[in-house]
Amino acid sequence: MLSHIRRTLSLVRGCSGVCRIQTSTNPARSSSSFSDLTTASDSGGLVLRSQSTDVYLNLALEDWIDANLDLQQRSVLLLWGNQPAVVIGRHQNPWTECNLPAMRKAGIPLARRRSGGGTVYHDLGNLNLTFFTSKKAYDRQRNLKVVTDALRRIRPELDVKATERFDILLNGHLKISGSASRLSRKSSYHHCTLLHSADRSTLSASLRPSCPGILSNATPSVPSPVANLVDHAPALQWEELLDALEHQYNTEFGFSAASTLVNPADEAAFPGLSRMEAELRSWDWTFSKTPKFSIQTVLDLTDARSARSSAQLNMEIKSGLIESCQLDVPTDWLPQRLIGELSGVLVGERFCGHRAAAAVTALLRSESGELQDRLTNLCDAVVRAMG
Amino acid sequence: MAACRLLRSLSSNFITVLPSLSRSAPLCRLRPVSTPCFGRTLTSSSRLTAALKFTDKHEWIRVEEDGHGTVGISNFAQEALGDVVYCGLPEVGTQLAQQDEFGALESVKAASELYSPLTGEVVEVNELLADKPGLVNKSCYKDGWLMKMTIAKPEELDALMDETAYERYIRSIED
Repeated sequence: MLSHIRRTLSLVRGCSGVCRIQTSTNPARSSSSFSDLTTASDSGGLVLRSQSTDVYLNLALEDWIDANLDLQQRSVLLLWGNQPAVVIGRHQNPWTECNLPAMRKAGIPLARRRSGGGTVYHDLGNLNLTFFTSKKAYDRQRNLKVVTDALRRIRPELDVKATERFDILLNGHLKISGSASRLSRKSSYHHCTLLHSADRSTLSASLRPSCPGILSNATPSVPSPVANLVDHAPALQWEELLDALEHQYNTEFGFSAASTLVNPADEAAFPGLSRMEAELRSWDWTFSKTPKFSIQTVLDLTDARSARSSAQLNMEIKSGLIESCQLDVPTDWLPQRLIGELSGVLVGERFCGHRAAAAVTALLRSESGELQDRLTNLCDAVVRAMG
Repeated sequence: MAACRLLRSLSSNFITVLPSLSRSAPLCRLRPVSTPCFGRTLTSSSRLTAALKFTDKHEWIRVEEDGHGTVGISNFAQEALGDVVYCGLPEVGTQLAQQDEFGALESVKAASELYSPLTGEVVEVNELLADKPGLVNKSCYKDGWLMKMTIAKPEELDALMDETAYERYIRSIED
Protein backbone atom coordinates (compact mmCIF):
# COMPACT_ATOMS: atom_id res chain seq x y z
CA MET A 1 0.00 0.00 0.00
CA LEU A 2 2.73 2.44 0.92
CA SER A 3 4.70 1.83 -2.26
CA HIS A 4 1.52 2.50 -4.23
CA ILE A 5 1.20 5.90 -2.59
CA ARG A 6 4.87 6.65 -3.19
CA ARG A 7 4.49 5.91 -6.92
CA THR A 8 1.47 8.13 -7.33
CA LEU A 9 3.02 10.92 -5.28
CA SER A 10 6.06 10.99 -7.53
CA LEU A 11 3.76 11.59 -10.49
CA VAL A 12 2.10 14.48 -8.75
CA ARG A 13 5.00 16.77 -7.84
CA GLY A 14 3.66 19.95 -6.42
CA CYS A 15 0.31 18.52 -5.49
CA SER A 16 -0.46 19.35 -1.89
CA GLY A 17 -2.60 17.34 0.47
CA VAL A 18 -5.66 18.81 -1.19
CA CYS A 19 -5.45 16.08 -3.82
CA ARG A 20 -6.22 13.28 -1.41
CA ILE A 21 -5.06 10.02 -2.86
CA GLN A 22 -7.26 7.07 -2.14
CA THR A 23 -5.31 4.28 -0.57
CA SER A 24 -5.82 0.88 -2.08
CA THR A 25 -6.05 -2.28 -0.06
CA ASN A 26 -4.90 -4.23 -3.09
CA PRO A 27 -1.13 -3.83 -3.37
CA ALA A 28 -1.14 -5.36 -6.83
CA ARG A 29 -3.10 -2.43 -8.30
CA SER A 30 -0.65 -0.39 -10.34
CA SER A 31 -1.42 3.27 -10.42
CA SER A 32 0.96 5.01 -12.74
CA SER A 33 -1.97 6.09 -14.91
CA PHE A 34 -2.96 9.71 -14.62
CA SER A 35 -6.64 8.95 -14.86
CA ASP A 36 -6.35 6.54 -11.93
CA LEU A 37 -4.87 9.34 -9.92
CA THR A 38 -7.52 11.86 -10.71
CA THR A 39 -10.47 9.57 -10.14
CA ALA A 40 -9.03 8.90 -6.71
CA SER A 41 -8.80 12.52 -5.68
CA ASP A 42 -11.43 15.00 -4.50
CA SER A 43 -14.19 15.76 -6.90
CA GLY A 44 -14.34 19.44 -7.73
CA GLY A 45 -11.49 20.99 -9.63
CA LEU A 46 -8.13 20.07 -10.97
CA VAL A 47 -5.50 22.59 -12.00
CA LEU A 48 -2.76 21.38 -14.33
CA ARG A 49 0.30 22.93 -15.94
CA SER A 50 1.86 21.18 -18.92
CA GLN A 51 5.60 20.75 -18.83
CA SER A 52 5.73 20.41 -22.59
CA THR A 53 6.18 23.28 -25.04
CA ASP A 54 5.42 21.15 -28.09
CA VAL A 55 2.19 22.27 -29.74
CA TYR A 56 1.21 18.78 -30.92
CA LEU A 57 1.80 17.18 -27.53
CA ASN A 58 -0.21 19.89 -25.83
CA LEU A 59 -3.11 19.67 -28.26
CA ALA A 60 -3.04 15.90 -27.82
CA LEU A 61 -3.06 16.39 -24.05
CA GLU A 62 -6.29 18.36 -24.39
CA ASP A 63 -7.88 15.57 -26.39
CA TRP A 64 -6.60 12.98 -23.94
CA ILE A 65 -8.06 14.80 -20.95
CA ASP A 66 -11.37 15.22 -22.76
CA ALA A 67 -11.53 11.55 -23.67
CA ASN A 68 -10.18 10.00 -20.47
CA LEU A 69 -11.14 12.08 -17.46
CA ASP A 70 -14.62 11.97 -16.00
CA LEU A 71 -15.64 15.57 -16.39
CA GLN A 72 -19.19 15.10 -15.14
CA GLN A 73 -18.11 15.51 -11.54
CA ARG A 74 -14.87 17.37 -11.94
CA SER A 75 -13.70 20.36 -13.94
CA VAL A 76 -10.14 20.92 -15.08
CA LEU A 77 -8.07 23.97 -15.88
CA LEU A 78 -4.98 23.30 -18.01
CA LEU A 79 -2.30 25.96 -18.50
CA TRP A 80 0.12 25.49 -21.36
CA GLY A 81 2.47 27.33 -23.71
CA ASN A 82 4.29 26.43 -26.89
CA GLN A 83 7.46 27.15 -28.79
CA PRO A 84 6.55 29.31 -31.80
CA ALA A 85 3.72 27.71 -33.77
CA VAL A 86 0.66 28.72 -35.74
CA VAL A 87 -2.59 27.01 -34.82
CA ILE A 88 -5.55 27.03 -37.21
CA GLY A 89 -9.14 26.14 -36.38
CA ARG A 90 -10.78 22.83 -37.25
CA HIS A 91 -12.28 23.93 -40.56
CA GLN A 92 -9.82 26.51 -41.75
CA ASN A 93 -7.61 26.83 -44.82
CA PRO A 94 -3.95 27.23 -43.85
CA TRP A 95 -3.06 28.84 -47.18
CA THR A 96 -5.43 31.72 -46.58
CA GLU A 97 -4.72 32.04 -42.89
CA CYS A 98 -0.96 31.94 -42.61
CA ASN A 99 2.25 32.45 -44.51
CA LEU A 100 3.46 28.89 -44.94
CA PRO A 101 6.68 29.70 -46.84
CA ALA A 102 7.74 32.24 -44.20
CA MET A 103 6.90 29.80 -41.43
CA ARG A 104 8.88 27.03 -43.12
CA LYS A 105 11.91 29.34 -43.35
CA ALA A 106 11.60 30.27 -39.70
CA GLY A 107 10.97 26.69 -38.55
CA ILE A 108 7.52 27.54 -37.23
CA PRO A 109 5.23 24.51 -37.40
CA LEU A 110 1.55 24.54 -38.29
CA ALA A 111 -1.04 22.70 -36.24
CA ARG A 112 -4.76 22.24 -36.84
CA ARG A 113 -6.70 21.97 -33.60
CA ARG A 114 -9.97 20.10 -33.09
CA SER A 115 -11.92 23.08 -31.84
CA GLY A 116 -13.44 25.67 -34.17
CA GLY A 117 -12.58 29.32 -34.48
CA GLY A 118 -9.74 31.24 -36.07
CA THR A 119 -5.97 31.24 -36.46
CA VAL A 120 -3.58 32.20 -33.70
CA TYR A 121 0.16 32.52 -33.25
CA HIS A 122 1.68 30.85 -30.21
CA ASP A 123 5.07 31.37 -28.61
CA LEU A 124 6.43 31.29 -25.09
CA GLY A 125 5.02 34.78 -24.50
CA ASN A 126 1.49 33.48 -25.06
CA LEU A 127 -0.37 31.54 -22.40
CA ASN A 128 -3.07 29.05 -23.30
CA LEU A 129 -5.85 28.19 -20.87
CA THR A 130 -8.19 25.24 -21.39
CA PHE A 131 -11.34 24.93 -19.29
CA PHE A 132 -12.70 21.36 -19.30
CA THR A 133 -16.24 20.75 -18.04
CA SER A 134 -19.29 18.61 -18.66
CA LYS A 135 -21.48 19.86 -21.50
CA LYS A 136 -24.01 21.08 -18.96
CA ALA A 137 -21.46 23.24 -17.20
CA TYR A 138 -20.10 24.71 -20.46
CA ASP A 139 -19.95 28.46 -19.87
CA ARG A 140 -17.42 30.49 -21.82
CA GLN A 141 -18.29 33.86 -20.33
CA ARG A 142 -17.74 32.50 -16.86
CA ASN A 143 -14.35 31.13 -17.89
CA LEU A 144 -13.35 34.48 -19.36
CA LYS A 145 -14.49 36.13 -16.13
CA VAL A 146 -11.81 34.07 -14.41
CA VAL A 147 -9.23 35.72 -16.68
CA THR A 148 -10.53 39.28 -16.44
CA ASP A 149 -11.08 39.06 -12.66
CA ALA A 150 -7.56 37.68 -12.19
CA LEU A 151 -6.08 40.50 -14.26
CA ARG A 152 -8.09 43.14 -12.44
CA ARG A 153 -6.96 41.75 -9.12
CA ILE A 154 -3.24 41.93 -9.87
CA ARG A 155 -3.34 44.99 -12.14
CA PRO A 156 -6.45 46.99 -11.32
CA GLU A 157 -5.36 49.77 -13.65
CA LEU A 158 -5.79 47.53 -16.73
CA ASP A 159 -8.99 48.03 -18.70
CA VAL A 160 -9.85 44.47 -19.75
CA LYS A 161 -13.22 43.28 -20.93
CA ALA A 162 -14.63 40.14 -22.53
CA THR A 163 -16.74 40.68 -25.64
CA GLU A 164 -19.78 38.90 -27.06
CA ARG A 165 -17.44 37.13 -29.47
CA PHE A 166 -15.52 35.73 -26.50
CA ASP A 167 -12.44 37.86 -27.17
CA ILE A 168 -10.79 39.81 -24.37
CA LEU A 169 -9.97 43.38 -25.27
CA LEU A 170 -7.57 45.76 -23.61
CA ASN A 171 -8.60 49.42 -23.64
CA GLY A 172 -11.66 48.56 -25.65
CA HIS A 173 -9.93 47.66 -28.89
CA LEU A 174 -6.73 45.67 -28.47
CA LYS A 175 -7.18 41.93 -28.50
CA ILE A 176 -5.25 40.06 -25.83
CA SER A 177 -7.25 36.83 -25.96
CA GLY A 178 -9.29 34.76 -28.41
CA SER A 179 -11.38 31.66 -27.75
CA ALA A 180 -12.40 28.41 -29.38
CA SER A 181 -14.26 25.33 -28.18
CA ARG A 182 -15.08 21.71 -28.78
CA LEU A 183 -18.10 19.72 -27.67
CA SER A 184 -17.72 15.96 -27.61
CA ARG A 185 -19.64 12.97 -26.25
CA LYS A 186 -20.30 14.11 -22.72
CA SER A 187 -17.82 16.88 -22.17
CA SER A 188 -16.53 20.11 -23.52
CA TYR A 189 -13.47 22.24 -23.58
CA HIS A 190 -13.13 25.95 -24.08
CA HIS A 191 -9.61 27.21 -24.64
CA CYS A 192 -8.27 30.69 -25.04
CA THR A 193 -4.99 32.44 -25.65
CA LEU A 194 -3.59 35.22 -23.50
CA LEU A 195 -0.89 37.48 -24.90
CA HIS A 196 1.64 38.23 -22.18
CA SER A 197 4.81 38.97 -24.16
CA ALA A 198 4.53 37.35 -27.54
CA ASP A 199 6.74 38.31 -30.47
CA ARG A 200 4.35 40.59 -32.33
CA SER A 201 6.44 41.06 -35.43
CA THR A 202 6.67 37.30 -36.01
CA LEU A 203 2.98 37.08 -35.21
CA SER A 204 1.98 39.51 -37.94
CA ALA A 205 4.49 38.08 -40.43
CA SER A 206 3.04 34.59 -39.89
CA LEU A 207 -0.64 35.49 -40.00
CA ARG A 208 -0.78 36.52 -43.62
CA PRO A 209 -2.02 34.54 -46.63
CA SER A 210 0.48 32.22 -48.32
CA CYS A 211 -0.71 33.03 -51.79
CA PRO A 212 -3.26 35.24 -53.52
CA GLY A 213 -6.37 34.28 -55.43
CA ILE A 214 -7.81 31.63 -53.09
CA LEU A 215 -11.57 31.03 -53.22
CA SER A 216 -12.70 29.03 -50.25
CA ASN A 217 -15.68 28.44 -47.99
CA ALA A 218 -13.48 27.49 -45.05
CA THR A 219 -14.18 29.31 -41.81
CA PRO A 220 -12.34 32.64 -41.92
CA SER A 221 -10.47 34.36 -39.12
CA VAL A 222 -11.52 37.79 -37.96
CA PRO A 223 -8.30 39.82 -37.91
CA SER A 224 -7.82 42.13 -34.94
CA PRO A 225 -5.12 44.45 -33.70
CA VAL A 226 -3.40 42.78 -30.76
CA ALA A 227 -1.42 43.85 -27.71
CA ASN A 228 0.75 42.18 -25.12
CA LEU A 229 -0.07 42.58 -21.44
CA VAL A 230 3.52 43.62 -20.76
CA ASP A 231 3.13 46.55 -23.15
CA HIS A 232 0.66 48.00 -20.67
CA ALA A 233 1.83 46.40 -17.42
CA PRO A 234 5.60 46.02 -17.90
CA ALA A 235 6.32 44.50 -14.49
CA LEU A 236 3.78 41.68 -14.90
CA GLN A 237 5.70 38.41 -14.50
CA TRP A 238 4.68 35.18 -16.18
CA GLU A 239 4.56 33.25 -12.90
CA GLU A 240 2.57 36.01 -11.25
CA LEU A 241 0.02 35.75 -14.07
CA LEU A 242 -0.27 31.96 -13.82
CA ASP A 243 -0.65 32.05 -10.04
CA ALA A 244 -3.35 34.71 -10.27
CA LEU A 245 -5.29 32.75 -12.88
CA GLU A 246 -5.13 29.52 -10.89
CA HIS A 247 -6.21 31.33 -7.75
CA GLN A 248 -9.10 33.01 -9.54
CA TYR A 249 -10.24 29.72 -11.07
CA ASN A 250 -10.50 28.23 -7.60
CA THR A 251 -12.30 31.32 -6.29
CA GLU A 252 -14.79 31.48 -9.16
CA PHE A 253 -15.76 27.83 -9.00
CA GLY A 254 -15.31 27.19 -5.30
CA PHE A 255 -12.44 24.73 -5.71
CA SER A 256 -9.28 24.40 -3.69
CA ALA A 257 -7.11 22.63 -6.22
CA ALA A 258 -3.37 22.96 -6.07
CA SER A 259 -1.42 23.20 -9.29
CA THR A 260 -0.03 19.95 -10.68
CA LEU A 261 2.66 19.61 -13.32
CA VAL A 262 1.95 17.10 -16.06
CA ASN A 263 4.16 15.77 -18.82
CA PRO A 264 2.20 14.72 -21.92
CA ALA A 265 5.27 12.94 -23.26
CA ASP A 266 4.97 10.41 -20.44
CA GLU A 267 3.20 7.52 -22.14
CA ALA A 268 2.85 5.64 -18.86
CA ALA A 269 0.93 8.51 -17.33
CA PHE A 270 -1.07 9.20 -20.50
CA PRO A 271 -1.59 5.92 -22.35
CA GLY A 272 -2.66 6.51 -25.91
CA LEU A 273 -1.63 10.18 -26.01
CA SER A 274 1.22 9.55 -28.43
CA ARG A 275 -1.22 8.11 -30.95
CA MET A 276 -3.33 11.27 -30.69
CA GLU A 277 -0.21 13.38 -31.09
CA ALA A 278 0.86 11.45 -34.19
CA GLU A 279 -2.51 12.12 -35.77
CA LEU A 280 -2.34 15.83 -35.00
CA ARG A 281 1.16 15.99 -36.46
CA SER A 282 0.21 14.19 -39.67
CA TRP A 283 -0.07 15.84 -43.08
CA ASP A 284 -3.47 14.21 -43.44
CA TRP A 285 -4.94 16.00 -40.45
CA THR A 286 -3.12 19.30 -40.91
CA PHE A 287 -3.47 19.82 -44.66
CA SER A 288 -5.71 17.15 -46.10
CA LYS A 289 -8.57 18.21 -43.84
CA THR A 290 -8.67 21.59 -45.61
CA PRO A 291 -12.09 22.16 -47.16
CA LYS A 292 -12.10 22.05 -50.95
CA PHE A 293 -10.87 25.31 -52.45
CA SER A 294 -9.73 26.83 -55.70
CA ILE A 295 -7.07 29.23 -56.82
CA GLN A 296 -7.64 31.76 -59.56
CA THR A 297 -4.69 33.96 -60.20
CA VAL A 298 -2.68 35.66 -62.89
CA LEU A 299 0.92 34.61 -63.31
CA ASP A 300 3.42 37.20 -64.41
CA LEU A 301 5.62 35.63 -67.07
CA THR A 302 7.54 38.73 -68.02
CA ASP A 303 11.22 37.95 -68.34
CA ALA A 304 14.27 39.99 -69.22
CA ARG A 305 13.99 39.28 -72.91
CA SER A 306 10.37 39.02 -73.91
CA ALA A 307 7.61 41.57 -73.65
CA ARG A 308 5.20 41.60 -70.73
CA SER A 309 3.38 38.33 -70.68
CA SER A 310 0.98 36.61 -68.34
CA ALA A 311 -0.97 33.41 -67.84
CA GLN A 312 -4.14 32.55 -65.97
CA LEU A 313 -3.91 29.73 -63.44
CA ASN A 314 -7.03 27.93 -62.21
CA MET A 315 -6.59 25.10 -59.75
CA GLU A 316 -8.99 23.05 -57.67
CA ILE A 317 -7.57 21.57 -54.50
CA LYS A 318 -9.36 18.83 -52.65
CA SER A 319 -8.07 17.11 -49.52
CA GLY A 320 -4.85 19.07 -49.95
CA LEU A 321 -4.21 17.55 -53.40
CA ILE A 322 -4.38 19.27 -56.77
CA GLU A 323 -7.56 17.90 -58.30
CA SER A 324 -7.47 19.92 -61.48
CA CYS A 325 -5.15 22.44 -63.05
CA GLN A 326 -5.88 24.74 -65.94
CA LEU A 327 -3.30 27.06 -67.43
CA ASP A 328 -4.24 29.67 -69.99
CA VAL A 329 -0.99 30.67 -71.60
CA PRO A 330 -0.58 32.64 -74.85
CA THR A 331 -0.28 29.88 -77.45
CA ASP A 332 2.57 31.57 -79.26
CA TRP A 333 4.57 31.60 -76.06
CA LEU A 334 4.49 27.88 -75.30
CA PRO A 335 2.97 25.01 -77.28
CA GLN A 336 -0.30 23.64 -75.95
CA ARG A 337 1.26 20.20 -75.66
CA LEU A 338 3.70 21.38 -73.00
CA ILE A 339 0.98 23.21 -71.09
CA GLY A 340 -1.04 20.02 -71.05
CA GLU A 341 1.91 18.00 -69.83
CA LEU A 342 2.63 20.46 -67.07
CA SER A 343 -0.97 20.33 -65.85
CA GLY A 344 -0.89 16.56 -66.02
CA VAL A 345 2.23 16.37 -63.89
CA LEU A 346 0.71 18.59 -61.22
CA VAL A 347 -2.68 16.90 -60.90
CA GLY A 348 -2.64 14.44 -58.00
CA GLU A 349 0.30 16.11 -56.27
CA ARG A 350 0.07 17.70 -52.86
CA PHE A 351 -0.64 21.42 -53.09
CA CYS A 352 2.85 22.37 -52.06
CA GLY A 353 5.53 24.42 -53.82
CA HIS A 354 8.26 21.91 -53.02
CA ARG A 355 6.29 18.98 -54.36
CA ALA A 356 5.35 20.89 -57.48
CA ALA A 357 8.96 21.90 -58.09
CA ALA A 358 10.08 18.29 -57.78
CA ALA A 359 7.27 17.05 -60.00
CA VAL A 360 8.16 19.32 -62.90
CA THR A 361 11.88 18.54 -62.87
CA ALA A 362 11.70 15.68 -65.34
CA LEU A 363 9.45 17.67 -67.66
CA LEU A 364 11.92 20.56 -67.65
CA ARG A 365 14.86 18.31 -68.41
CA SER A 366 13.11 16.99 -71.49
CA GLU A 367 13.13 20.40 -73.13
CA SER A 368 15.94 22.69 -74.13
CA GLY A 369 16.77 26.14 -75.37
CA GLU A 370 14.17 28.84 -75.38
CA LEU A 371 11.32 26.42 -74.73
CA GLN A 372 13.04 25.18 -71.62
CA ASP A 373 13.63 28.78 -70.45
CA ARG A 374 9.99 29.67 -70.91
CA LEU A 375 8.79 26.44 -69.33
CA THR A 376 11.08 27.09 -66.36
CA ASN A 377 9.67 30.59 -66.11
CA LEU A 378 6.14 29.20 -66.12
CA CYS A 379 6.93 26.47 -63.59
CA ASP A 380 8.58 28.97 -61.26
CA ALA A 381 5.51 31.18 -61.45
CA VAL A 382 3.19 28.25 -60.72
CA VAL A 383 5.31 27.15 -57.76
CA ARG A 384 5.33 30.73 -56.41
CA ALA A 385 1.56 30.89 -56.73
CA MET A 386 1.29 27.89 -54.45
CA GLY A 387 2.94 29.65 -51.58
CA MET B 1 -27.54 35.09 -42.08
CA ALA B 2 -30.65 37.16 -42.85
CA ALA B 3 -32.57 33.93 -43.14
CA CYS B 4 -31.47 32.90 -39.66
CA ARG B 5 -32.62 36.21 -38.19
CA LEU B 6 -35.92 35.75 -39.98
CA LEU B 7 -36.23 32.26 -38.59
CA ARG B 8 -35.58 33.46 -35.06
CA SER B 9 -38.14 36.23 -35.30
CA LEU B 10 -40.67 33.82 -36.75
CA SER B 11 -39.97 31.36 -33.95
CA SER B 12 -40.67 33.98 -31.35
CA ASN B 13 -43.94 34.78 -33.13
CA PHE B 14 -44.68 31.10 -32.95
CA ILE B 15 -44.20 31.12 -29.21
CA THR B 16 -46.67 33.93 -28.59
CA VAL B 17 -49.24 32.23 -30.82
CA LEU B 18 -48.92 28.90 -28.99
CA PRO B 19 -48.58 29.86 -25.33
CA SER B 20 -48.15 26.26 -24.24
CA LEU B 21 -44.74 26.26 -25.90
CA SER B 22 -42.56 27.93 -23.30
CA ARG B 23 -38.83 28.55 -23.70
CA SER B 24 -38.07 25.78 -21.29
CA ALA B 25 -40.22 23.17 -22.97
CA PRO B 26 -38.50 21.02 -25.53
CA LEU B 27 -39.00 22.68 -28.85
CA CYS B 28 -38.47 19.46 -30.69
CA ARG B 29 -41.92 18.00 -30.34
CA LEU B 30 -41.94 16.36 -33.72
CA ARG B 31 -45.70 16.60 -34.00
CA PRO B 32 -46.05 18.61 -37.20
CA VAL B 33 -48.05 21.53 -35.84
CA SER B 34 -45.31 22.60 -33.48
CA THR B 35 -42.22 22.01 -35.55
CA PRO B 36 -40.04 25.13 -35.58
CA CYS B 37 -38.22 23.97 -38.71
CA PHE B 38 -40.16 26.60 -40.54
CA GLY B 39 -41.61 26.26 -43.97
CA ARG B 40 -42.69 22.63 -44.18
CA THR B 41 -46.26 21.46 -44.64
CA LEU B 42 -48.05 19.33 -42.10
CA THR B 43 -48.27 16.25 -44.30
CA SER B 44 -44.62 16.24 -45.32
CA SER B 45 -43.59 16.60 -41.69
CA SER B 46 -45.68 13.58 -40.73
CA ARG B 47 -44.15 11.46 -43.44
CA LEU B 48 -40.63 12.55 -42.63
CA THR B 49 -40.75 12.05 -38.91
CA ALA B 50 -42.57 8.76 -39.12
CA ALA B 51 -39.54 6.52 -39.69
CA LEU B 52 -36.84 8.34 -37.75
CA LYS B 53 -34.72 6.68 -35.14
CA PHE B 54 -32.66 8.75 -32.72
CA THR B 55 -29.42 8.43 -30.81
CA ASP B 56 -28.66 9.90 -27.41
CA LYS B 57 -26.32 12.27 -29.25
CA HIS B 58 -29.35 13.87 -30.90
CA GLU B 59 -28.73 12.46 -34.33
CA TRP B 60 -31.44 10.81 -36.40
CA ILE B 61 -31.30 8.13 -39.03
CA ARG B 62 -34.00 7.33 -41.56
CA VAL B 63 -33.96 4.09 -43.54
CA GLU B 64 -34.64 4.88 -47.20
CA GLU B 65 -36.24 2.69 -49.82
CA ASP B 66 -32.83 1.70 -51.16
CA GLY B 67 -31.81 0.39 -47.75
CA HIS B 68 -29.37 3.19 -47.04
CA GLY B 69 -29.68 5.33 -43.95
CA THR B 70 -29.92 9.12 -44.16
CA VAL B 71 -28.34 10.80 -41.14
CA GLY B 72 -28.91 14.24 -39.66
CA ILE B 73 -29.20 16.06 -36.36
CA SER B 74 -32.41 16.66 -34.48
CA ASN B 75 -34.18 19.94 -33.93
CA PHE B 76 -33.09 19.86 -30.30
CA ALA B 77 -29.48 19.64 -31.47
CA GLN B 78 -29.70 22.39 -34.07
CA GLU B 79 -31.34 24.70 -31.52
CA ALA B 80 -28.60 23.97 -29.01
CA LEU B 81 -25.87 24.55 -31.58
CA GLY B 82 -27.01 27.88 -32.88
CA ASP B 83 -26.23 29.01 -36.41
CA VAL B 84 -24.10 26.42 -38.13
CA VAL B 85 -21.29 28.09 -40.08
CA TYR B 86 -19.49 25.00 -41.32
CA CYS B 87 -20.25 21.31 -41.80
CA GLY B 88 -17.17 19.11 -41.59
CA LEU B 89 -18.31 15.89 -43.22
CA PRO B 90 -16.50 12.63 -44.09
CA GLU B 91 -15.28 11.43 -47.46
CA VAL B 92 -17.51 9.06 -49.39
CA GLY B 93 -16.22 5.57 -48.76
CA THR B 94 -15.32 6.16 -45.12
CA GLN B 95 -15.99 3.10 -42.98
CA LEU B 96 -17.67 3.90 -39.69
CA ALA B 97 -18.37 1.81 -36.62
CA GLN B 98 -21.32 2.76 -34.46
CA GLN B 99 -20.42 5.83 -32.37
CA ASP B 100 -17.29 6.64 -34.36
CA GLU B 101 -16.62 10.33 -34.79
CA PHE B 102 -17.40 11.15 -38.41
CA GLY B 103 -17.15 14.93 -38.54
CA ALA B 104 -18.10 18.12 -36.78
CA LEU B 105 -20.54 20.98 -37.08
CA GLU B 106 -19.07 24.37 -36.34
CA SER B 107 -21.24 27.09 -34.95
CA VAL B 108 -20.60 30.20 -32.89
CA LYS B 109 -21.05 27.95 -29.90
CA ALA B 110 -18.30 25.43 -30.64
CA ALA B 111 -17.12 22.70 -32.98
CA SER B 112 -19.47 19.84 -32.06
CA GLU B 113 -18.41 16.32 -32.91
CA LEU B 114 -20.74 14.09 -34.89
CA TYR B 115 -21.04 10.41 -33.96
CA SER B 116 -22.13 7.70 -36.36
CA PRO B 117 -25.51 6.25 -35.35
CA LEU B 118 -24.73 2.91 -36.99
CA THR B 119 -21.98 0.78 -38.48
CA GLY B 120 -21.63 1.22 -42.22
CA GLU B 121 -20.00 3.01 -45.11
CA VAL B 122 -20.57 6.60 -46.18
CA VAL B 123 -22.16 6.56 -49.64
CA GLU B 124 -23.17 10.19 -50.04
CA VAL B 125 -22.58 13.51 -48.37
CA ASN B 126 -24.90 16.53 -48.64
CA GLU B 127 -22.97 18.81 -51.01
CA LEU B 128 -25.47 21.65 -50.52
CA LEU B 129 -24.13 22.20 -47.03
CA ALA B 130 -20.77 23.43 -48.35
CA ASP B 131 -22.33 26.71 -49.46
CA LYS B 132 -25.40 26.62 -47.23
CA PRO B 133 -24.47 25.24 -43.80
CA GLY B 134 -27.52 27.03 -42.37
CA LEU B 135 -29.74 24.36 -43.94
CA VAL B 136 -28.92 22.27 -40.87
CA ASN B 137 -30.74 24.85 -38.76
CA LYS B 138 -33.54 25.68 -41.20
CA SER B 139 -34.39 22.18 -42.33
CA CYS B 140 -32.76 19.68 -40.02
CA TYR B 141 -35.01 16.76 -41.04
CA LYS B 142 -35.14 17.44 -44.76
CA ASP B 143 -32.72 19.61 -46.76
CA GLY B 144 -30.19 19.77 -43.91
CA TRP B 145 -29.41 16.02 -43.95
CA LEU B 146 -25.71 15.37 -43.41
CA MET B 147 -24.79 12.06 -45.00
CA LYS B 148 -26.09 8.72 -46.24
CA MET B 149 -24.60 5.43 -45.23
CA THR B 150 -25.00 1.70 -45.67
CA ILE B 151 -26.48 -0.21 -42.76
CA ALA B 152 -24.06 -3.03 -42.10
CA LYS B 153 -25.75 -4.20 -38.88
CA PRO B 154 -29.52 -3.64 -39.05
CA GLU B 155 -29.92 -4.92 -35.50
CA GLU B 156 -28.23 -1.72 -34.30
CA LEU B 157 -31.35 0.16 -35.40
CA ASP B 158 -33.44 -1.69 -32.85
CA ALA B 159 -31.43 -0.21 -30.01
CA LEU B 160 -32.04 3.37 -31.16
CA MET B 161 -34.90 5.46 -29.85
CA ASP B 162 -38.09 6.01 -31.75
CA GLU B 163 -39.74 9.42 -31.79
CA THR B 164 -41.68 8.93 -28.57
CA ALA B 165 -38.70 7.60 -26.66
CA TYR B 166 -36.56 10.44 -27.96
CA GLU B 167 -39.06 13.05 -26.80
CA ARG B 168 -39.06 11.44 -23.37
CA TYR B 169 -35.28 11.48 -23.41
CA ILE B 170 -35.14 15.19 -24.20
CA ARG B 171 -37.55 15.99 -21.41
CA SER B 172 -35.47 14.00 -18.99
CA ILE B 173 -32.21 15.75 -19.79
CA GLU B 174 -33.76 19.18 -19.72
CA ASP B 175 -34.84 18.68 -16.12
